[in-house]
Amino acid sequence: MEFFVDENDRVDGVDKVTGKAKYFAEYQLPGLTYGVLVTSTITKGKITAIDTKAAKNAPGVLEVLSHLNKPSVAGYEQAGGSPMKIFYTDQIFFNGQPIAIVVADTFERATFAASLVKVSYEKAAFNTNFEASIKDAAVKKLQGQPPYVRGIADAYKTAEVKVEQIYTMPVETHNPMELHGIIADWQANDKVTVYAKTQGVKSTQNTIANVFKIPAENIQVNSQFVGGGFGMALRTWPLEIAAIMASKQLKKPVKLVITRDQMFTMVGNRPAAYQKIGLGATKDGKITGITHTAFGQTATYENFTEGVVNMSKFMYDSENVNTNYYVIPLDMGVPIWMRGPGEATGAFALESAIDEMAHALDMDPLDFRAKNDPEKDPAQNRPFSSKYIKEAYKLGAAKIGWNNRKNKPGSTIEGSWNIGYGVSIGVFNAGRGRASVKGILKADGTLILQSATSDIGPGTGTGMTLIASKLMNIPVEKIVFELGDSSLPPAPSQGGSATLSTVGSAVNDVCVALKATIAELAANSNMDATSNFVDVLKKNNLPIIEKTIQSSQNNPEAKNYSMYSFSIHFVQVKVHQLTGVVKVSKIVSVGDAGKIVSPKTARSQMVGGAVGGIGMALTEEAILDNRYGRYVNNNFADYHVPVNADVPDIDVIFIDKPDPIVNPMGAKGMGEIALIGFAGAVANAVFNATGKRIRSLPITPDKVLEG
Amino acid sequence: MINFQFVRTSVVKTALSLIGKDPKAAFIAGGTNLVDLMKRGVIAPEKLIDINHLPLKQIELKNNILHIGALVSNSALAENALVKEKFPLLMLALQAGASAQLRNVATVGGNMMQRTRCGYFYDTTMPCNKRQPGSGCGAIGGYNRMHAIFGTSESCIAVHPSDMCVGLAALDAQVVIAGAKGERKINFVDFHRLAGTTPEKDNNLQKGELILRVEIPANNLNKNFHYLKVRDRTSYAFALVSVAAALEIKDGLIANARLAMGGVAHKPWRLTASEVFLRGKPATLANCEEAAKLAMKDAKGFGENDFKLKLAPNTIIEALTIAKSKA
Amino acid sequence: MAEIDNNQSGDTRRDFLKKTSLFTALSLTPLTVLKAADNKVDERFAELFEKIPLNLKVNNKPYTLKVEPRVTLLDLLREQLHLTGTKKGCDYGQCGACTIHIDGVRVNSCLSLAVMNEGKSITTIEGLAKGDELHPMQAAFIKHDGFQCGYCTPGQIMSAVACVREGHANSKDEIREYMSGNICRCGAYPNIVDAIQEVKEGGKAI
Repeated sequence: MEFFVDENDRVDGVDKVTGKAKYFAEYQLPGLTYGVLVTSTITKGKITAIDTKAAKNAPGVLEVLSHLNKPSVAGYEQAGGSPMKIFYTDQIFFNGQPIAIVVADTFERATFAASLVKVSYEKAAFNTNFEASIKDAAVKKLQGQPPYVRGIADAYKTAEVKVEQIYTMPVETHNPMELHGIIADWQANDKVTVYAKTQGVKSTQNTIANVFKIPAENIQVNSQFVGGGFGMALRTWPLEIAAIMASKQLKKPVKLVITRDQMFTMVGNRPAAYQKIGLGATKDGKITGITHTAFGQTATYENFTEGVVNMSKFMYDSENVNTNYYVIPLDMGVPIWMRGPGEATGAFALESAIDEMAHALDMDPLDFRAKNDPEKDPAQNRPFSSKYIKEAYKLGAAKIGWNNRKNKPGSTIEGSWNIGYGVSIGVFNAGRGRASVKGILKADGTLILQSATSDIGPGTGTGMTLIASKLMNIPVEKIVFELGDSSLPPAPSQGGSATLSTVGSAVNDVCVALKATIAELAANSNMDATSNFVDVLKKNNLPIIEKTIQSSQNNPEAKNYSMYSFSIHFVQVKVHQLTGVVKVSKIVSVGDAGKIVSPKTARSQMVGGAVGGIGMALTEEAILDNRYGRYVNNNFADYHVPVNADVPDIDVIFIDKPDPIVNPMGAKGMGEIALIGFAGAVANAVFNATGKRIRSLPITPDKVLEG
Repeated sequence: MINFQFVRTSVVKTALSLIGKDPKAAFIAGGTNLVDLMKRGVIAPEKLIDINHLPLKQIELKNNILHIGALVSNSALAENALVKEKFPLLMLALQAGASAQLRNVATVGGNMMQRTRCGYFYDTTMPCNKRQPGSGCGAIGGYNRMHAIFGTSESCIAVHPSDMCVGLAALDAQVVIAGAKGERKINFVDFHRLAGTTPEKDNNLQKGELILRVEIPANNLNKNFHYLKVRDRTSYAFALVSVAAALEIKDGLIANARLAMGGVAHKPWRLTASEVFLRGKPATLANCEEAAKLAMKDAKGFGENDFKLKLAPNTIIEALTIAKSKA
Repeated sequence: MAEIDNNQSGDTRRDFLKKTSLFTALSLTPLTVLKAADNKVDERFAELFEKIPLNLKVNNKPYTLKVEPRVTLLDLLREQLHLTGTKKGCDYGQCGACTIHIDGVRVNSCLSLAVMNEGKSITTIEGLAKGDELHPMQAAFIKHDGFQCGYCTPGQIMSAVACVREGHANSKDEIREYMSGNICRCGAYPNIVDAIQEVKEGGKAI
């Protein structure tokens, strides 16, 4: 079947360009009140007193809640669980921890009153210093993933040619443009509606049900538009519970929108990483050993791990591979997956080391990669469901003009600028979960599809509409895909590049079922099997027919295959000889993510990943002063996400061949692979331009100058 | 933010009278820094005097001196035909600052009055002698990558964040100030101060005074000039180091040289010794390098900003190279 | 608030309260409030009565309001006028999500106190289209997919319209520089540049 060739606009485009799209903070509820958080100014210790008198006396203030006067929350009364039960502890686990909420009739009054709350503490010694902790034997390290060994451990050490290097990167913050928060509005003692910023309305519903011990069906979660997430809205954060508590206590709707500086502390981050890669190869360029040891960070009060070392296990054909991954608990807010999560961290290290090895061997890094490309997944010893990486190499190399690249670093100079080229691979699991979709065919010719999934930006509704449109032969403008509402049929959270695969499969299945029903009705009413559904419904006097289908998690064949999406990023950089400024001047990203369902939004995903990759490579670093445990650049002026002028034209190429195993559409996710590997490509290009190998992200002018 | 009083006036004399009577009052013009600081609790004036309606928005050439009203917006100044023609260095400096939106609102006077962007100054829970005299300097021994290498003191190593001011310092501008006792005029380079033992004072404007205008004397620096700003991203970021460079080249020799730097000191940093060195010499790379070297005398790093000891002279050389290469 | 064009003012907060027309309001309130207003400790009570008249036009609609001086134009639009198309991204002038036009000039509304805009004419994203007919920039953003999550989009579009009107859209690089005050975390920049270039080259007066 010929799927998806249309260059369709986003189904919610008009809403977004006219300002009609409503994000969580934009719902007008009668009697709305405003919450503002008070946060800890110490990093570790205990609250000894909270003086709220001045705040309570301030105009318009309705309530000041803290652990001293919080309402009873059934789920928090029980022992166990995370120690960070908001307002149920006097302990401070990190600087900037929410410790009280002030509610007033206006935002300005709540903000002012919050500044009047005086908190006394008993301070304790703390540790936020990631890099020092790695070398400090006294600091606890937790195994983040079981050690992995294939063949001989540390085989690289005895190889003919070896590379052994350390790669580091700092904390990054998701910082979606929309500030986090929630509106909570209790209708009864056991019934609440929330307007949330979430990547999973069902997940938010479940968390609230567990905390407040009320039936899930009594909790309505609305989240139709989400102003970006990149992973930070994959869980319900304590601050959201605080607002829900306050609303329950006041019996009024409470809106809480946190500040940009609070976005650095209380809604997760991409943890810092310290990685050691050992690579061994024969003189003719065959990899004989890969050792990848990684340290990440976690919190003291909750544990966080991610797939930093995953890629090293299967991306290259090596008999000998061993990995180890540790996390160090620090007195900081707990991290959470950020776009391309641990894999992006790992890819920077591995793909830098691969480039270093190619250089050591005096090989073209593409040839070196191609030579070590495995036919099947060496970790699982099974075939890939689909993989066209060598084709991707060729397409990308042609597009960027790879033949202009000289293997000897520093060979190409234009005026005050050195020119260099770099390449890197990205890979991410092509996951597929289980989701339900309700399809409603109406006699007026429209199709309504409903699922409690989310759209944080990729264009979920657009993709689903296109799938249904092709299957049902209904024009897109006659299809409405409803999402972001917990009362709809359940779907998993939007994360791990799995929405299209998961929810798309269910859309596929529900469309197939609707078509079967129409065919059956047509047959029963002596109509042609190919009759238009409108005619069939009319003939049968049916205003609508509806089906709800829960799609299976997998094709039964899937267990025999390894399923991944792949990307290859090519970049050209210019490095200024005197100032060390790096400009990414050309980008070609090739996506090998199966069949492309929605070409326009898919391209945008890849473009967005490259832009995020520029940030990771060149500009992004959340800087914490370890003496105080506080961030010193917690704002958009000093934490540099890329701006328009940082980004050149970006060419996106899709292999666009269906994966026969993963799902009926043959389409795999691409949100993660758009970013994974990109930073490595930039670092490799900087090396090619200058001969300077920067192993510590971000590659700022100072590092280039001193490198 | 405290709910301050708000008054508005269109008469300079009234503005001066209002500010003179009220020690907790402040002028507000564009507000792009003031409102930001108030939101973060760094400052909390109890009364704001809106001076946007004062008649200080003219740009005019009088007796070969460009008069720029204190309330001229950064974008209006950058787009002004006289500035483009006669003082293009200033145009480049203005365009290097902030964003189009901010430049539309930020005024000349407000830009001069903007506070440092040091993270310790902005975080009211951390030590900062500028915000709270006597509390210590967080940046010394802390995060000081963005900080000063010239004219620092034990109490403060913050930098002045303006680009416009670097251009004005290079152009020998003067500042006309009004106070209760009348008007006075000072050299632009004397407007801002070094931190010394009183980092809470950014400049020499006295309590109760108001900036009326900036004056730039005519020059021949509109041919060979450049403003080079090195930053962590291509736009919308504060300088690691910036250099305003302008040369008047006559018969192959430098007749007049102007050099000033941003991002390196508590005030726009004029490189007088380098200028003197360049005068009368050909604009060769070697002379540019020597000028850059001279500029670095007495520079001192604080750890994370040590790279500026290399970046600063390199940026001077590059700015001079671009300036002298202009046809 | 008073428009002060002579030398009479400079009163303290309490004097101010007693003298101004707000006194009328005070006379109707309980004695305790008056006392509180007079009492330095609880001077905050005074704030209840310190709203300032403000007249402005938003999207050609006139508004007569009373607002606290500390209310920003952004919060006025979003929380009081319920024009939520204008977004709060940072609240410190560092992201551009709140970009609007004041008398035709693009501005970050988060750093503008509402009361500074007396008599001004404001245009927000809601005022850009003519009824159901999208502004060419809005249409170009859809065509070029100049957004993903859509949160920075109103600010980008308001900024983009101004960028063209200012004459700063003459090349891709110029657009990039003059649009750098609008951060897009989804990374739609190349598509935004394409959209602006198309509108600019379309040559229509926008």
